[in-house]
Amino acid sequence: MRIITTITFILVTAGAAFAHAHLDHADPKVGSTVAQSPKEVVLWFTEKLEPAFSLIEVRNEQGSVVNAGKAAVAGDRTQLRVPLKSLPPGTYRVIWRVLSVDTHRTQGDFTFRVGR
Amino acid sequence: MFGNSWPLATLAAILTASAALSATAAQAHEIVGNRFFPATLAIDDPGVNDELALPTISMQKTGDTPSFKQLDVSGEFAKRITEDFGVSFAPTWSRLYAPGGPNMTGSRGFQNLETTLKYRLFKSPEHEFVLSAGLEIEWGGSGAQGVGAERFTVYTPTLYFGKGFGDLPTSLNWARPFAITGQIGYSIPGASKITSATFDSDAGDIGLDIEFNPRVLNWGATLQYSMPYLKSAVVDLGLPDFVNRLIPIVEVSLQTPVSNTATSGTVTTGTINPGIIYAGDKYQVAIEAMIPVNRQSGGNVGVIAQLHFFLDDIFPNSLGRPIFASNISSGRPAFGR
Repeated sequence: MRIITTITFILVTAGAAFAHAHLDHADPKVGSTVAQSPKEVVLWFTEKLEPAFSLIEVRNEQGSVVNAGKAAVAGDRTQLRVPLKSLPPGTYRVIWRVLSVDTHRTQGDFTFRVGR
Repeated sequence: MFGNSWPLATLAAILTASAALSATAAQAHEIVGNRFFPATLAIDDPGVNDELALPTISMQKTGDTPSFKQLDVSGEFAKRITEDFGVSFAPTWSRLYAPGGPNMTGSRGFQNLETTLKYRLFKSPEHEFVLSAGLEIEWGGSGAQGVGAERFTVYTPTLYFGKGFGDLPTSLNWARPFAITGQIGYSIPGASKITSATFDSDAGDIGLDIEFNPRVLNWGATLQYSMPYLKSAVVDLGLPDFVNRLIPIVEVSLQTPVSNTATSGTVTTGTINPGIIYAGDKYQVAIEAMIPVNRQSGGNVGVIAQLHFFLDDIFPNSLGRPIFASNISSGRPAFGR
């Protein structure tokens, strides 16, 4: 029992640890509907990102990319943002793939709607 | 529910550790596209990873006649050799309360050591699907006979799978956080029968008692609803962070003797385990009820709890990496769905 407690304590207090970067929240919010075309998509992750390997694509219902520029890591390196073209009403899919600073890859996607 | 106090104390320690670790968001483990498949308690998950389950504690009355209370405390250390191939070691310490044990006065000791070799055969991020194959080995004679550890080795080739429903159309958004996992294995004892001498004191006869060791189908599945998936891939409802980390789950674990069943019978035994998993960054904590499917499977509703560490997140540059790790690929990641 002491061994179990000791190992548990060591692992619980492993302070320098990193983890996979997961999507914490987004603007526009995951699954939300916004009245006006957003100027950009901003994603907040749970870990710092490697800029060279962290990307976003936003696609319309026809599958065309509506990014207006390149995705960039911002803030304390946990934000990833990409500017958008002016979006007509419709459903858009945000597809992201990132590499955390501890070299874990993660990916995901979600949708948001404009004006409906 | 517990017969003595220290399992309760340990569960309290798990919950305390959970609270201490809940400062940051999200989770880890077998991750396939958008999908996080948590480690499961009753059956093995389909993932190949660096992880430590310590401790797993269960308490239930057995299906024996007479029934007795059994406490199991186990651990499992899993290590990736390559990105897709890993090995794990799982010792279990058991305490049988009276009238259990060979003299019906109770017993305690280690079960046979279990080793699992597992290889990830296929992974589809787009369809949140993963398939693995493994060989589970229970090393005969490595445990104490007083707690039921057999003298022969048992080999169980097993298939594992996981499937998330994130690829359903958006009109079925409510169902997309669901996922299923499952396993099917075939246990082959290293000895087909055990023969022991018996003595009839009334008649003064010496006889032979033959017990056949059956080959057993080990099968099970889980159904899980991922609140982390709901938040990050379907709709962010603005729920509290604690709720967004929960994964309600039902596990089913069954064993069916299928051959060499002359003395064992062919009755399927097992448990249905409703429970909940809390997924943190570097660990998860889970608790489930163990509902026996029939009298032979248990004498009451038991409980199982586990604290599970993701070593690849805790020690990403040392213990948490495959021994033979591939380098990070360069170039533009491929998008698509």
